[in-house]
Formats: sequence, C-alpha cells, structure tokens
Amino acid sequence: MAITADDVSLEDIIPISLDFAVVEVSSSEELAVVGADTKMKVSYQEEELELRLPFGSHSRLFLSEVNRVWSDVCKTTTQAPKFEWISKYHKATRGLGTTVNKLNQHQKKEKSSDKKGTIEGEKGSNSGTHKSKAYSSPESQSIFSREDRNDLVRSSSHTPSNKAQILAMPQFGLRDNLIRCELLKNEDLYTYPEDFSFFLGTYNVNGQTPKESLSPWLSCTLNPPDMYCIGFQELDLSKEAFFFNDTPKELEWTKAVSQALHPDAKYALVKLVRLVGIMLIFYVKKEHAEFISDVEAETVGTGIMGRMGNKGAVAVRFRFHNSDICVVNSHLAAHIEEYERRNQDYKEICSRLQFRQLDPSQPPLTIMKHDVILWIGDLNYRISELDVSNVKELIGKKDFETLHSYDQLKRQIDEEAVFVGFAEGDIDFQPTYKYDTGSDKWDTSEKCRVPAWCDRILWRGKNIVQQHYQSHMALKTSDHKPVSSLLVIGIKKVNAEAYKKTFEEIVRNIDKMENECIPSVTLSKREFHFKDVKYMQHHAETLSLVNDGQVPCQFEFIQKPNEPTYCKPWLTANPSKGFIAKGGSVDIELEVFVNRSTAPELNSGKEQIEDILVLHLERGKDYFISVIGNYLPSCYGSSIHSLCQLREPIQDMSQETLREVAKMSGGENAVNTEKPLDIPKELWMMVDHLFRNALKQEDIFQQPGLRSEFAEIRDCLDTGIPDSLPGSNHSVAEALLLFLDALPEPVVPYSFYQQCLEICSNASQCEKVISMLPQCHKNVFNYLAAFLRELLKNSASNRLDVNILATIFASLLLRSPTKQDLAEKRKTQEFFQHFLAQGSS
Amino acid sequence: MAKKTYDLLFKLLLIGDSGVGKTCVLFRFSDDAFNTTFISTIGIDFKIKTVELQGKKIKLQIWDTAGQERFHTITTSYYRGAMGIMLVYDITNAKSFENISKWLRNIDEHANEDVERMLLGNKCDMEDKRVVPKAKGEQIAREHGIRFFETSAKANINIEKAFLTLAEDILRKTPVKEPNSENVDISSGGGVTGWKSKCCS
Repeated sequence: MAITADDVSLEDIIPISLDFAVVEVSSSEELAVVGADTKMKVSYQEEELELRLPFGSHSRLFLSEVNRVWSDVCKTTTQAPKFEWISKYHKATRGLGTTVNKLNQHQKKEKSSDKKGTIEGEKGSNSGTHKSKAYSSPESQSIFSREDRNDLVRSSSHTPSNKAQILAMPQFGLRDNLIRCELLKNEDLYTYPEDFSFFLGTYNVNGQTPKESLSPWLSCTLNPPDMYCIGFQELDLSKEAFFFNDTPKELEWTKAVSQALHPDAKYALVKLVRLVGIMLIFYVKKEHAEFISDVEAETVGTGIMGRMGNKGAVAVRFRFHNSDICVVNSHLAAHIEEYERRNQDYKEICSRLQFRQLDPSQPPLTIMKHDVILWIGDLNYRISELDVSNVKELIGKKDFETLHSYDQLKRQIDEEAVFVGFAEGDIDFQPTYKYDTGSDKWDTSEKCRVPAWCDRILWRGKNIVQQHYQSHMALKTSDHKPVSSLLVIGIKKVNAEAYKKTFEEIVRNIDKMENECIPSVTLSKREFHFKDVKYMQHHAETLSLVNDGQVPCQFEFIQKPNEPTYCKPWLTANPSKGFIAKGGSVDIELEVFVNRSTAPELNSGKEQIEDILVLHLERGKDYFISVIGNYLPSCYGSSIHSLCQLREPIQDMSQETLREVAKMSGGENAVNTEKPLDIPKELWMMVDHLFRNALKQEDIFQQPGLRSEFAEIRDCLDTGIPDSLPGSNHSVAEALLLFLDALPEPVVPYSFYQQCLEICSNASQCEKVISMLPQCHKNVFNYLAAFLRELLKNSASNRLDVNILATIFASLLLRSPTKQDLAEKRKTQEFFQHFLAQGSS
Repeated sequence: MAKKTYDLLFKLLLIGDSGVGKTCVLFRFSDDAFNTTFISTIGIDFKIKTVELQGKKIKLQIWDTAGQERFHTITTSYYRGAMGIMLVYDITNAKSFENISKWLRNIDEHANEDVERMLLGNKCDMEDKRVVPKAKGEQIAREHGIRFFETSAKANINIEKAFLTLAEDILRKTPVKEPNSENVDISSGGGVTGWKSKCCS
C-alpha cells in the first residue's frame, strides 16, 4: 500500500496544500447503508468539486492517503504540528478507554480551523471500514506503549529498503514481464528457505471491551514470534458499528493487543483492517519490517443480503522476502444447521476478495494466488449428530479425537466441500464455544448451546510446521475462548549474489532473444548490373527478399541524405515498400527507364547508371543495394548544338569527346577545328527519309508508329548501322517527333518563348525572332518549316493541313519552360502557322 | 512510472575501413563468439546487449556499419544520434590506420558534438603480421584526446573492456537529473530509437 503511494505520488496529482480539503458530504440516509457510495466535497482555494467514490477499499485507501499526505504537508510547511495541546487530551484519554477516534476527529477539526482546511477522510462515516493506524497522526504514538512503532512502520512501508527494491519486480512492458516470469520460474536458483515463526490468534470477543490482559494468549510462547496475525470477531455488536462501521473498540482492542505482545521483542504494526466487528492486526518484529513489502488489505461482507459486514472476512496480503503471504480472518455464518451456508461464505470470500496489484496491467490477486495462506477466525462450524450431554461427556473424557470426528469442519474438509488444500493441526483442547461470560462454565442460558470448536486456524502452503495449537482458558472476557497457533514457515529468502547471477542470465537470454527477433531478410542479389541501357527502353531485374528472421517485417526503400527520393529518377523499385510474413518472400522489380528528362545528363556523361538503394527494415537492419550499368548515349536527349558537332554516330564517340562537346554547348565558336554541321545529321536523315518516301503518305504524322521500329530507328541513328533508316514511314515520322520532343533545349530556345507569344500575330516580327536564334537552331527551324511546306503541297494525298501541322509541331518547337495553358498553346500555333504559309522563306 | 528493466539506452556505432573486424568485434561482444569467414557488411546492422554499470542497467544498442568506401556518404548519415563511436583499424593493415584521420574528420562533420569516441586497434592477436606499432595507435589517440585499446575479437582481448569503458564514459556525461523522456532521433535508418530513463526509483 505504501509503495503504491510512493509510485503514484499523490502529491503530484492532487494539489494538496493547506488550502486543500476533502469533506464527506453523504446525507444521513445514505450513511445508514453500509456499502453506499461516499460523497466527497473537494475544495482547493476557491474551487469546489463534488465527487462520488464507490464503496470499497480503493476509496478508503485513497482517502487515507490524502489524509496522510495532507498531514505531511502540514508537518513540512509549518513547524507547528507537534500539536502540544493534544497531550492533555491524551492524559484524559488514558485509562478511560474512551473514544480516541472522536479525539482524532476533534484533532483534525482543530487543525482545519487553524489552517483553513478540513480533511475528514474516512472519519465517522461509512466510507472507511478501517482506520489505518499505521498512518495515524502523532498523537497515537503516546497511546502505544512501544513508541517507536509508528515510525518504524512508516519507514518499512513508505521507503522500501534496498533489499525490497531488489525484490520489487519490474512492472511494465513485454521485456519486464518476460524477466518477471523467468525470475519466478527460476526462483529456486536464488532463494533458500529460512524458518520464521508466525503467531496466529483468533478471538471472538462477543462485543466486549478488553477487561483483562491478553498476555496469557499472546505471550504464551517461549521465544518472541517473528510475526503476529491477530484476528477478532464480534468486536462490536452495536448498531453504530454495523451501520457506520465506526467503533471505539478497534482502538481499545488494538491497544490491548499491543500491550500483550511478547515482551522480549519490539514489534511494528504493519496493517490493521476491520470490517464492522471482524478485525485483523498484523505485527512484525522490528528487524523484519524492512523485508515486508506490497502490503494490501481487503474486506468482503457476506452477512445480511450477502453483502453486509456482520459476517465476512478481512484479509491482509504482503510479501515477506520472496514469499507472498495472505492472512484471512473470517467470521462465517452461525447456527448449527447452517454449515452449507458457511461453505458458501468461504467460497464467496475466496472469489470476491481480490487484492489490486501495483501494476495495473496485472489481474487482481486472489487469496489462492499466494504461496502461503493463513486462515483464522470464527468459522462457526459445530459438532453435529451429538447432543449436549454426549458432547460434554466426551469433553470430560478428553476424547477430543472422537469428538472431532463429529466436527462439521472436519467432515466438510474431508468431503472437499470447503477449505480444499488447507491443513489444520490436531485439536487437543476443548471446544472454545460457548461459555458463560467471565467463567469457564459451559453456556447455561436457555438455549444451552452445544459446545463447538468455532474458532480455528488453518493454513495452506509449503514448508509449514505447526508448533502449537491451543486455546486459552484463562481469558474469560467473552463467551468464546481465544485460540492460538504458532506456525514455523519456511520463507523464501533471496541470496543476493545468486539473484544477481540469475537476473543477469535472464537478461542475457532476453538480449539474445531480442537480437534474434531483429527483423532480417536475405537478398537474392546485392548488386545489379544493367548492361547497355538505351533511351526509352525498359530494363528490369528482380530482387527477391526472403524473410529469414523470427518476426514479420516491414521493408521500405529510404532516402539517402541530401537526395530528394530513395533512388535516381531513371530507377524505380516496385514495390518500394511492403510487408513480408515470417518465412515469406517478395519480389521487387528494379526498373531502369531513361526518358527525355534523364537522358541529357546521361548522354553528356554527367551522370552514370549508378545508384545505391537503402532497403530499411522497420526496427531492423538496413541493406545497401548497388545498382550499376552503362548507358549507350543517344541523339535522343542530346542538344542540337552537341549533335551538330558530331560528324560520326554518337555511339562511335568516346566519353571524353561527348563530355567536351557538352561542355562547349552554347558557345557558338567551338575550339573544334572542324566546322560544325548545319543541322544534326540525325534530323537530316529522318527528314530526308520522309521527304523522299512519305510526302504522299496518307495520315503521315497522324498515325502512330511501332515501338519496335522506333528502337531500330534509334539504334540506326546512334550507330550509323544500317545505312538507311529501317521501319515504316509512320515510325520514322514518330521518331522525328520524339527526337524534337527529347531535345533538352527546344528548337526555339526557352529564352525566346515569351517573345514569340507576344508577337505571334505579326508574321514579320515572327520571322525576325527566328532570325535571331542561334545558328544551328535557326537552321533546324527553317529546315523543318521547309519540309512541312513541302508536305502541305501534297495535302491531297497525305490529308494534312496547316492546322494539323501547326498543332503538332508548334508544341514541339516552342515548348514552354513551365506549364502551358490553352491560350498559350493557341499563340504558339498562330506563331508557327506563319511559317507554314506557302511562299514564306 | 514504469520501472524499466534497463535505466538507460546508449546507441553506439562501429566505424572503420572494410575488413578491420567491426562485425567480429560486435559479434564477440554480443554473442561471445567468433567467425573466421569474412562477410562484408553491406548495410547497417545492430545488436543489443544489456550491461550493468554503477548499479544502472544500461541497454547498449550497437550499430555496425559497412566499411566499404563506396558506402561512406550513406553511412555517415547514421552517425547522428550515436552517443559513442568506436573507430576500428587493423594493426596488420597500414592503410586502415592511415585512414583514421579521415574517419575522425567524418565524425567531426556528421556526429553529435558531444559524441564519445574511442579508437580500437583490432587483430592484436596477429603479432607476426603487425605493421602498426601500438605506440602509434596510442599517439594518435592522445593527439585527439580519445581512449585507445588494442583488441582482438578472435582471442577475446579487451573487447568487453572497450565497450564497458565507452559506456562508462557516456554514463559519466549523462546528466544525473533524469531527463523526462528525451528522445534522440537515430536518423532515418533508426530502429529502436530514443532512450528513456526510469522516472521513479
């Protein structure tokens, strides 16, 4: 519980200061029902908030934590809260046995009026079934005879010691869960059993107040036990206790217990939990306190309506060293014939009593999940089939064995109807119920109850040995006699060295597992060669990925630094991302395609077919894939200027020449000794071919050519082989259009484009612009225009007209440096039409 | 709120010429094994290993890079986000030692300013083929103010020590005050990125 508070750090969530207050505002009708929601008014400075908290330990815990933090705040912010004034109340209280709870309230109210804040917490209400004395304010210190208890408990539960931290299991994440599981699995490797003595006591006090020392009961052992788990039933039979769950008896009995603990040791109160009259107090020997952690308390009512707290159980769970221990104190249904009801209560308690875990992702802990379960209480099982005289006769003969065979609990356990897996020691004491109060005489009331072993102590778990099991006839306060048992329990202690070794081994294994779970693939090839890549020719190679890892993987080609895309523009990977199941595979097509936008750089040798792809696996490795190849330069994508410098086919030229030629492009007067060609010879070849063969060709420039013939024409132009152009007229015509389209600088260079648009309606102005073009561009323009005019002369056969040709060629010769709109398009056509008119030069 | 099984995560990077044994150094440290067949790392690989230093559990994420020259521009993009870089040369390969200054320049240009560097002269088991005297390694390390170890992945010499020392040096620089959840981006190629310290103790 305390660890929870540290983890969540309430102070960080709730603005607890002196201005902060939580006040219970439940109405009196609501108070009458135990189990109703608790209404709280939270105020902070000027703000107020009304909250409804569900009944239960979570709410109680919350309120008590707020309470604690608030009082801590009081302590730290002002030096006042020694509350010296309280001491006179203490003196007044001592011996009187009056309601210290009311004193608590009173004190809190004093505080609040001092500090403009009130905190009522669970006080005087149905909301709290227990008051955690472990957290109670300083005044209670003087009430306990052993003054160091509170501080001790504080330190044991609030600041886990180093040891406790080693033990504290990691709480979140897959890795953490794995480690936790492995640690649990290998517990034997790093723990060893060490015996500790647990004193268990149960006492049905019949609503009485303590009138005699409890020492005969609680200090009956020679040596001081390591732990005390003391259970009471019927602590308070008043209506107030039942309806408001508030009783002064809690403190009275706690005090009586604390004074009767074994005098040879100091004990710390770790936990007190109470449901109406069922109370469980858990003490631990001072030196063991630091090894107690994960303390939780819960209650379950099985009384009236199956919910109320007149019957039921309270339980405390904790971790001691490496053992998880649960102590249950229950008061089961009464009356001799109701044994099945008692069985049912037991089952109810087992299923409904759940401890929350610190890690919210973990399911709540049930009683049965613990290594050691200690179950004490007034279980209320009776002696059946014998009448009072038989029973008393057997008791008189001390024939407890025979009598025990009529015991309902024994019979029910033998039938496995209840307490399955639990053990109980031999009963060698006379029944603990029912006596005339203040005596050792059997019940003399008119009901004349049959004596019974109502009060029992059972356990479940390994390495548990009972040292004694007895009743204590000396105590006469109640109609029951208290029962005690001393159990020696082998607790799993941690060998720090072995723990470290085990932990490290587990971590090593998990590291190994994690490494094995890094996504991984095998690649069919790491290097791809693309041989003789040509313009507008599709090349593809297949990269196969096989997921050879332990997990599914997600792959993606990722960008390299300073590059806009994952690969060069002439390359694509298809698909470029995807998913491969474990053991699965995927084929990726690496495609190379050089188009008019990528060709110029490759032709000039500025770029190579060379790239490195980075294949990234999500949460895994990266693979580098090399793509290399050679590109066959082409007239396609080469500039008019460059082509005019080349008297031989482009592929007969050396890389250096091409690079040289590209460099001087633009500078009209090359250092070249040879006079450049008037127009590119490739252009001449195509136009001349068409001029000679296709002037009368029907639908020339309108009907598409064949792809395969284009490839032949391109190769012919680039290599000079064969001597004449292959393919149909339509293919040559299309090859010509593609050639113009691929020119990096159009026939009418981009710089003239705007001017052309402006003067498009004026024929002489248009001619003037053309005359200003660079020589080779001007030549090409005029040459093409002349050829087109020749075509138009044959329009009867080839069915061309000015409009058609202007539409086709204007868009190739006058290309916009940006995007062209329809109006611009019309203007370029208008411009070009001047040159198609017969008679223009 | 989460109590992690590790308190810190350090990203380390192995760089150096091809064939100096980066992958073997990593393999020795992570799997305590050695493989004689040389498989050139073509890409970026990583392994994790959890170590304990000064009571803190530290998860080391160690990245192994391709050493081949043609991949250098790409691998430098993985420097960013590394908290420690191990620069490895081969004591039997003079060229790999000569290239150290180039690698150091790469670190200056591409890695985080406060990256912790370390120089390793690997293959120190091959004394008969040694061409780089230990003193030369020590000298260049001194000049650049970085730590130096001669290691052998094969004979398991100084491997663990080198990694732990590097991690310790990083730990020393790590602010004691827990950064809440500062994520260190490990570039586009990053796998498990970022490091978180536990925020409650």
